[in-house]
Amino acid sequence: MQRLKKFGRNIYDNRIWLLMILPGFVWLIVMKYLPMVGQVMAFKDFRFHPDGFFASVYHSEWVGLDNFKFLFSTNDAYLITRNTVLYNLVFIILGLILAVGVAIILSELTKQKLAKIYQTGMLFPHFLSWVVVSYFVFAFLSVDRGLFNSVLEMFNIEPVSWYNESAYWPYFLIAISQWKGVGFGSIVYLAAIVGIDRTYYEAAMIDGATKWQQIWRITIPMIMPLIIILTILNIGSIFSADFGLFYQVPRDSGPLYSVTNVIDTYVYRGLMSMGDIGMSTAAGLYQATVGFLLILLTNYIVRKIDKDSALF
Amino acid sequence: MDTLPKSAASTKRKRFLPLRKKKKFNPYGFSGKTSVVMHILLGSFAFLCVFPFIYVIIISLSSEQSLSLHGYRIIPEEWSLEAYMYLWQVRSQIFRAYGVTLFVTIVGTILSVSVIALYAYAISRKQFLYRKQFTFIAFFTMLFSGGMVPFYIVMTQFLGLKNSIWALILPMTVNAFYIIIMRTFFQRSVPEAVLESARIDGAGEFRIFLKIVLPLSIPGIATIALFNTLAYWNDWFNALLFIDNPSLVPLQSLLMRIENNLDFIRQNAMLSSQNGSILASIPQDSARMAMVVIATLPIALSYPFFQKYFVRGLTIGSVKE
Amino acid sequence: MKKTILLLAMLLGMVGLLIACGGEEAGEGKSETTENEGGTGDTGEVGEKLDPVTLTWYLIGTPQQDLELVMEEVNKYTEEKINATIDLRLLDWGEFDERMQVITTSGENYDIAFTSSWANNYALNARRGAFAELNELMDQYGKEMKELIDPAFLEGAQIDGKLYAVPTNKEVGQQAVLSFNHELVEKHDLDISTVNSLTDLEPLLAVIKEKETDVTPIATFDAYLPFDSILQEEMPFAFRLDGNTDEVVNKYEEEVTMETLKVMHDYYKKGYIRPDAATSTDSWPLETPNWFVRKELYQPYAESVWSRSAGYEIVTRPLHEPYVFNNSVTGSMQAISTTSQNPERAMMFLNLLNTDPYLRNLIDKGIEGVHYEENADGSITDLPVRVERYNMPSFAIGNQLILKLYEDDPADKWEAFEEFNEKSIPSPALGFYFDSNPVRTEIAAISNVTSEFSPALLKGAVDPEEFIPEFNKKLYEAGMQDVLDEIQRQYDEWKENQ
Repeated sequence: MQRLKKFGRNIYDNRIWLLMILPGFVWLIVMKYLPMVGQVMAFKDFRFHPDGFFASVYHSEWVGLDNFKFLFSTNDAYLITRNTVLYNLVFIILGLILAVGVAIILSELTKQKLAKIYQTGMLFPHFLSWVVVSYFVFAFLSVDRGLFNSVLEMFNIEPVSWYNESAYWPYFLIAISQWKGVGFGSIVYLAAIVGIDRTYYEAAMIDGATKWQQIWRITIPMIMPLIIILTILNIGSIFSADFGLFYQVPRDSGPLYSVTNVIDTYVYRGLMSMGDIGMSTAAGLYQATVGFLLILLTNYIVRKIDKDSALF
Repeated sequence: MDTLPKSAASTKRKRFLPLRKKKKFNPYGFSGKTSVVMHILLGSFAFLCVFPFIYVIIISLSSEQSLSLHGYRIIPEEWSLEAYMYLWQVRSQIFRAYGVTLFVTIVGTILSVSVIALYAYAISRKQFLYRKQFTFIAFFTMLFSGGMVPFYIVMTQFLGLKNSIWALILPMTVNAFYIIIMRTFFQRSVPEAVLESARIDGAGEFRIFLKIVLPLSIPGIATIALFNTLAYWNDWFNALLFIDNPSLVPLQSLLMRIENNLDFIRQNAMLSSQNGSILASIPQDSARMAMVVIATLPIALSYPFFQKYFVRGLTIGSVKE
Repeated sequence: MKKTILLLAMLLGMVGLLIACGGEEAGEGKSETTENEGGTGDTGEVGEKLDPVTLTWYLIGTPQQDLELVMEEVNKYTEEKINATIDLRLLDWGEFDERMQVITTSGENYDIAFTSSWANNYALNARRGAFAELNELMDQYGKEMKELIDPAFLEGAQIDGKLYAVPTNKEVGQQAVLSFNHELVEKHDLDISTVNSLTDLEPLLAVIKEKETDVTPIATFDAYLPFDSILQEEMPFAFRLDGNTDEVVNKYEEEVTMETLKVMHDYYKKGYIRPDAATSTDSWPLETPNWFVRKELYQPYAESVWSRSAGYEIVTRPLHEPYVFNNSVTGSMQAISTTSQNPERAMMFLNLLNTDPYLRNLIDKGIEGVHYEENADGSITDLPVRVERYNMPSFAIGNQLILKLYEDDPADKWEAFEEFNEKSIPSPALGFYFDSNPVRTEIAAISNVTSEFSPALLKGAVDPEEFIPEFNKKLYEAGMQDVLDEIQRQYDEWKENQ
């Protein structure tokens, strides 16, 4: 009773804040938490029932972890996990360095008009869908009509069948993903940098700090919380890959599978002929759970080091 | 990126700069040589980014005949305006799609930014007892979702939003990722001291939020607004799920439908005897690229509008945490 | 801030205007819908007994601008006949499958849906309980239709003795043909009458390669393999068409596959096939005469249809006799959902659709005088408006053999279809629908291996002597033997019950 009373008072005391979160909270409950009951399909052999979805779920048989098996059953399981995790690690690290780097340079450029033009330009790839990007990449890499091979021909070098040579593709994929993402990724850091109090820099300059020192001692520490938060969040999706990048861009080319097959493409190809909703739910649940555990771990480590920077 | 430390080191000389800003000269920026190097670096990267788009424009201006004979070329064999003429023929559909996209983007962004900012502000304040719980509630949805079918049931059977323009707006209103970014902005750019003094003056929390917090966080708000705008503009998936009515189809979805159809027909040999009639209803390569152009150019060029708010000096400089 | 608000207000105003402009046409259609209650009368005996209902019908195809206009006419007629109005919803080709999966899984109420072997998969959905059993319903409300539809369809489409969808009456057999660009055949005086297989093409391709530098001899295709495939065409499990047809095999282990793919690869090496064949997404449009030979699926008089859309003559040579496969009998069907509130009425409507030439032609061709004109001899001519505003997927709707003919169609077109159907040979596993559920883990893995190897192999892009052994090795690692055993077990069981 005592506790309930205290709880009631706490609610009252925090009413203004609770009011602020109310619209977002309602949305999260209705649009995200309510549908989560669907995750139960991952453990069922889904059959339709005439009385609708809930009846279907209810009447479907429990199959335990059967729906998860296909993710681990073959030799490919290791390959797709390795590919997914390694690419994502590279994307996270490289993406961070490039995005922060570009944001810093943009903020420091003289002739801000030009800087704005660059910035707008860098955002363009974000708007092109992977399908369009794949057309574009094909124009470079096509065996007989591609730009790369025309250049090689000019130097009398044997043309390369790019879509059959898996050795080049890790570099292609990393370059393409960064090319598409850097402009967008740098926006948030740029916004953080311009929000830094200018007096810090003024003081530093009076003390004779070089530009380099200012970047290292002021800019980076000031945006560090944002860097940490975004990195933690990115780690959560380390088991999920960008489907378009790994499927559309390499044009589903078989000889490249050793370096392009990731969890998402594997699931897609595996379920193409069966459309099994239990198995696709299982795959999503697996990816999310691993991501969740990794975030908790990272967050735990961050908290040990600096409590304020942690996610929660 | 390796050039950064090197060139910065080369400018290792003491500079005493005037504190007043002169026009055309940014005292906070790089100096001479470094500046040139950085301009070249970023300039060429920016060009690399815009280049495919130029290429898309070129394809949209190529004749269909030369495309199917020679593939996509940087310089086409034959120029042609037929793609744009085709788009002009179906202009009623395109204008309508533009209208839907614009409406969804504008209304969606305003709604989304308001809800996100309020939520993020509350969980950024130490006074809020349950901030951790609600941070977690939002964060959890970034990873776990219900999947498409349960979401579809909520949208169509509980909310009755099939074939409604709100089916294009509501699914993307809140995004936990943006909430957490916004929270970080609020934590960093709004010093507690400012708020304390306002509270002492007797201002209510909502008033403080509107009059002090928001102006202080304009770069952050602008970022979230930009992200939302781009997301709404680029969204095609919700239309695929919820919209049958052709007059409610947004622009990107129009484009995506065409791409999906092509893909589908290519993969289905069973359809080959019917190919002629189906393919005839799908716009050809150059027309598709022309659609990419008209669907992308306006939003890409809207960026400077947001850029305006990414400027220094909006923070109140005098108060430090 | 004020400026921003002003700007937003202006933008919103513009949007309103745009929507208003765009909405006009849609609005016009709507205003006319409601006033068609009366008009019953002579055929009213059925109509009076039945309560009015609305049937929701999901069909594959690009949404058409004049759909509402035509459906209004359709509804006048169906209200009179069976007191039902039809709410026809077209879902575009590329999204139909995904949309239907969401719709069925979510348990949404609908009455009729298009289903087939290649979109909204018939066997899978039927097995999972999405479609109602139709045997009894059809005997009760679909007698006329049952007589009209070729029995091969009705038998072949039954899963364990039960029919779950009404097949579209059309060509029942599947026949791969090679079609040739006739202009090039004439120009180089080539003899195609001796071409009966892939191997026979060699001398012709050599001529084209040498003399026509702008032409790619082969418009990329997958080599034809003589098997009845289980699940998708490219998947390895199959029954042989000759020899021991009761044994399920891995078709990539068969001699004929190796031989065919060697020929294909030989053509590839000789430059008859695009070097990018395996990865290029060229659609090889007929209008562009940059090819010499291609592979298509045939139906009677297909060459005249193809020639018409190409703008030059196309001739064909068959690669084999037409076979009746599961995939061809379930090529286009209409199923009634288990969630339907009015399955009887839905069956009545399907019966009407498949037997009544007026209704069938109305849904397919549009309104006479608006979308097409009827000529003196009973044939029809499309008006330009039909192509732009009412271009329906004819083969996906229903009985094709009661459709009106176009002026340039041969008068005996539908008779030719019947003849073609009669001479089609039932394939060994016709009517055997494999339930993949017990081995779904293995199939997911095999699916991945198959998409890794089969496209390049079937298009000739890689050397089969090197890749087929590797392919097979990976298939067995992925659990091939378990799947083959399971298929054989189910097949034997099925065969016994025949």
